[in-house]
Amino acid sequence: MSTAPYRVHKLIQDLMKDPAGQAAFARDPEPAFEAHGLIETEKVLLRDGSPSALDRLGVHPNLQMKYGRLRILPGSPPPAGGGPLAAYLGRLEER
Amino acid sequence: MGKIVGGFATSHVLFPPNGVEDQAERVLAGMLRIREQIRALKPDLIVLAGADHLNNFNLAMQVTLAVGVADAFTTLGDSGAPVVTFRGHRPFAEGFVRHANRRDFELVQMEELRPDHGIAIPRLIVDPANEVPVVPVYINANMPVPPSPGRCYRLGGVLKEFVETGRPADERIVVVGTGGLSHWLCLPEQGKVADAFDRDFIARMVDGRSEELAALSAEDILEASGNGGLELTAWLFMAGAVPKARGEAIYYEPIPEWISGMGGLRLSPVD
Repeated sequence: MSTAPYRVHKLIQDLMKDPAGQAAFARDPEPAFEAHGLIETEKVLLRDGSPSALDRLGVHPNLQMKYGRLRILPGSPPPAGGGPLAAYLGRLEER
Repeated sequence: MGKIVGGFATSHVLFPPNGVEDQAERVLAGMLRIREQIRALKPDLIVLAGADHLNNFNLAMQVTLAVGVADAFTTLGDSGAPVVTFRGHRPFAEGFVRHANRRDFELVQMEELRPDHGIAIPRLIVDPANEVPVVPVYINANMPVPPSPGRCYRLGGVLKEFVETGRPADERIVVVGTGGLSHWLCLPEQGKVADAFDRDFIARMVDGRSEELAALSAEDILEASGNGGLELTAWLFMAGAVPKARGEAIYYEPIPEWISGMGGLRLSPVD
């Protein structure tokens, strides 16, 4: 697997620290792409956002997961089921 | 001198049981069995070793080995783990870092840290009542150049030496390595589980042969068990702290639906 240029990783890492930027990015990613100096092939793959596109671009696996969350519009309903630990929390938290 | 009274390892995630109810139940039962065994050892402090998932560390500065030295930590709350504050242990953590420095390991001290699921879920497993201070040790296997298995194993040995020479008499320490087993996170192979590799890894560890596994290269483990399998370097850190120890496989379930081999074990230190 090739590794994405650092500017791609920096885009994701910068957005993780910027809640306001995240909301803007989810609505329209183009300004952030421009601000980080991405080239067109990188933009195309990030607009696609699929696992295969992100893998082709060489996005770090942990940052792929975060990128997926950055694309979710603010206010979107949380995933059904109450989260990964919901079925176990009662017993995990039992003292 | 202090004493390491137990070594444990466990996967550090759980996912919804839908479709794999029986396996999920066995995984949870294994984790709770680890809890009971640790509780029975009455530790004064738990060292939890695992990877951060680019939440506290990132690619801007690629830290491979680090220790949480703060007095307390508040978890990040990712992957369904509740946000809780738990006690650290500054004298132990800073003392370990200084001792490691004398043994040619320059560990990064972390004051500001929001442990993600790699530490938060195991902490919930091993000490839900938050009764025992926890020192997080980061073995960041997901960095582009990860720490080698051998170096992680040797660092475990340095921890043992520190406990035995630098800690108060009768202090009881449990070491837990977290993460793994095989999984290919966000890679084309995602969903594959290296069942045979995982079972062999566990079998060799509980047979007192962890040093053989520490001789593998990071590339060997990556090839055989995926990028997530590299988290097994935290298991080897634990094993290095209890050299030659034998033990017991507590659980193993290959769960492609969870994209992971899930397992846990106990090693009993050799006196």
